[in-house]
Amino acid sequence: MADTILDVEGLTKNFGSKKVLKNVSFSVEKGHIVGLVGPNGAGKSTIMKAILGLFNYPSGKITLDGQPVSQTSHQALEKVGALIEYPGIYPFLSGLQHLELFSNDGVSKQQIMDVVDKMKMGSYIKRKAKTYSLGMKQKLGIALALVNHPALIILDEPMNGLDPQANKDLRTIILDLAKQGTTFLISSHILSELEKLIDDLIVIDKGQIVYRGDMATLESGSTRSMVLQTSDDAKAKDILSQNGYKLIDSDHVSVVEDETTKMADIIKLLSTNNIEIEDVKHVHSDLETSLLDLLKNDKVKEG
Amino acid sequence: MVTLVRQEIFKLVHKKSTWATSIILLVIMTIFAVISRNHPNTIDPKAIFVSLFTGFDWIVLFMIAAASSIISMEFQYGTIKELLYRKYYRGEILVSKWLAMVLYSIYFIALAFVYSLILKLILFNGTFQLSETYGNKHSILVTALYTSLSGFVALWLVLSLVLLLANLFKSSAAAISVGIIGYFAINVVSSMLIIAIKKWTWLKWNPLNMMNYPNQVISPSLKHMTLLSTNELLIGSLVYMVIFLGISYSVFKRRNV
Repeated sequence: MADTILDVEGLTKNFGSKKVLKNVSFSVEKGHIVGLVGPNGAGKSTIMKAILGLFNYPSGKITLDGQPVSQTSHQALEKVGALIEYPGIYPFLSGLQHLELFSNDGVSKQQIMDVVDKMKMGSYIKRKAKTYSLGMKQKLGIALALVNHPALIILDEPMNGLDPQANKDLRTIILDLAKQGTTFLISSHILSELEKLIDDLIVIDKGQIVYRGDMATLESGSTRSMVLQTSDDAKAKDILSQNGYKLIDSDHVSVVEDETTKMADIIKLLSTNNIEIEDVKHVHSDLETSLLDLLKNDKVKEG
Repeated sequence: MVTLVRQEIFKLVHKKSTWATSIILLVIMTIFAVISRNHPNTIDPKAIFVSLFTGFDWIVLFMIAAASSIISMEFQYGTIKELLYRKYYRGEILVSKWLAMVLYSIYFIALAFVYSLILKLILFNGTFQLSETYGNKHSILVTALYTSLSGFVALWLVLSLVLLLANLFKSSAAAISVGIIGYFAINVVSSMLIIAIKKWTWLKWNPLNMMNYPNQVISPSLKHMTLLSTNELLIGSLVYMVIFLGISYSVFKRRNV
C-alpha cells in the first residue's frame, strides 16, 4: 500500500522465557494519529522500542516507508522522532543545547526556535536542564522528538506530567502536524486525552493485539444506555423488563438503547403506572469504558 | 561519524568538569614547577620537566574518570535511547565516543606540553637548556616528547581496559578503581613482576608488563627486566588495546536498552 508508512508483521519478542510480544502485526497509514493502549506491561513500550531498532527480535518484520528496521539496519530511522518512557536529559546542558545537539545538519536555528515557541518553552529554554520540573523535562523530550520534522513521531506517554494548558497545546501541535501529513504513534493511559486525538486505535494485552481499527468502529460496538431516576426505581425496573426492555444490572434504572428505543414510550409507560421521572441521562460509553470492556472480555491467556 | 564525534565533543565542551580538570592540571603543574625552582635538590628541574611537571600522571587520572563515564552517563541520564534510535549504527555510536576520548587525551597532552614549555621559559630560563642531552642520547626536549608519546600508548592501554570495564559493569565506579589501580600499581608491583617474569618467562606477555613501555623508551636497559624489546612492548600494548576494545564493541552491540 502506497500510503502505509509503518508496517509491523508477526513481531515476536521474549525476555528470557517470558514472551512479551506474540505475533504482533499492524500497519499505520501516513498522516494518521494512532493510539497504542493496553494495561501496564502489555508490551506497548516494547513495540515502540522494536520499531526504533533498539533490540533484536527473533521473528517478524518491521518496515518503515518500505525500508526494513532492525537493530542492525537503522537507515530508515532518519524519518522518525521519538520520546520513549521518560525523556533523557543531560543535566549540564540547557534545553536549547539539547535541541542543537540532536538536530540534524539541515535544521536551522530558526526552525529550532519555532519548536520552542510552539511548545511555549521560551522562558526557560536557556536554563540548565537540571533545574527543570518534571513537566518541563517532558516538554523538552517532546520537542526533541519534533525538532527534525520527522515523518513518523512515536510518543510514549507524552502527557505525563503536563499541566492542562500544556496538554491542550500538545494536542494542537499534534493535530496541526498530522494535518500536514506527519504520522503519530502515541501510547497513553490518559484515555480521555487520547480520545480527542486519535484516528485509529491498537489495543494490546499480554503481548497480543486484541483490537485494531478506527475509533468509530470501537464506539459503535459499545452499548448506549438511558439512565432514569424515578420516584420508585424498583417498580420501574419491573415494569420496564415486563414490557421487553433490556436493563443493565445496576443500582439505577438503566435501559439499553437501540434504534427502536424511544424515550417518549418509556415516559408514557412509567407515567401510566404512576411513576414519576425525576431525571434522564443518556450514557454513551467513552474510550475508557469501551477499552475496559474489551480487556475484560478478551480471551488472551498469559503464557 | 564526523557528526557523532562532533556531538560528543559538544557534550564535553559544555561539561564543567572538562574545564575544571584543565584548570586543576595547570595549577598543579605550576605548583610543582615552583617547588622545583625553589628546591632544585629535592625535585630535579630537568626530570620534572620531562614528566610535564607531573602533568602526565594527572592526565591519566582525569582521562580514566572521563572514559569510565562517557558511556555510563548515557545510561544514568537515560539518554542512551536518544543516541541509539537514530539512523546511526550502534557500533558508530561507540566508536564516536572512543574517538572523542582520543581527541580529549590529545588535547590534555598538548595542553600540558605547551604549558610545560611556558613554565620552563618563565621559571627555568637560566637553569637548563632544552637542547641539553638528558639521560641516554636525546635532548631534554626530545626526551619529553618521547615520554609523552610513549605515555600516550600506555594511557590508551589503561583506557581501553577502563572502557571495557565501564561497559561490562554499567557503572563508572568499578572502572575508575580498576583503571587507577592498574596504572599506578605498576610502580608497586613491578619488582615482584620482574621476579615472576624471570621464573615464568611467558608472564612477560601480561598487560602489566606492557605498561613498562614508556619507561623502556627512555631507559632501553629495562629490556633485561621486561624481557621484551621496546617494539615488542609497543606491539603488545596495541594488541591488548584491540582485544579490550573489540570485547567492548561486541558487548555494547548486544546490550539491551
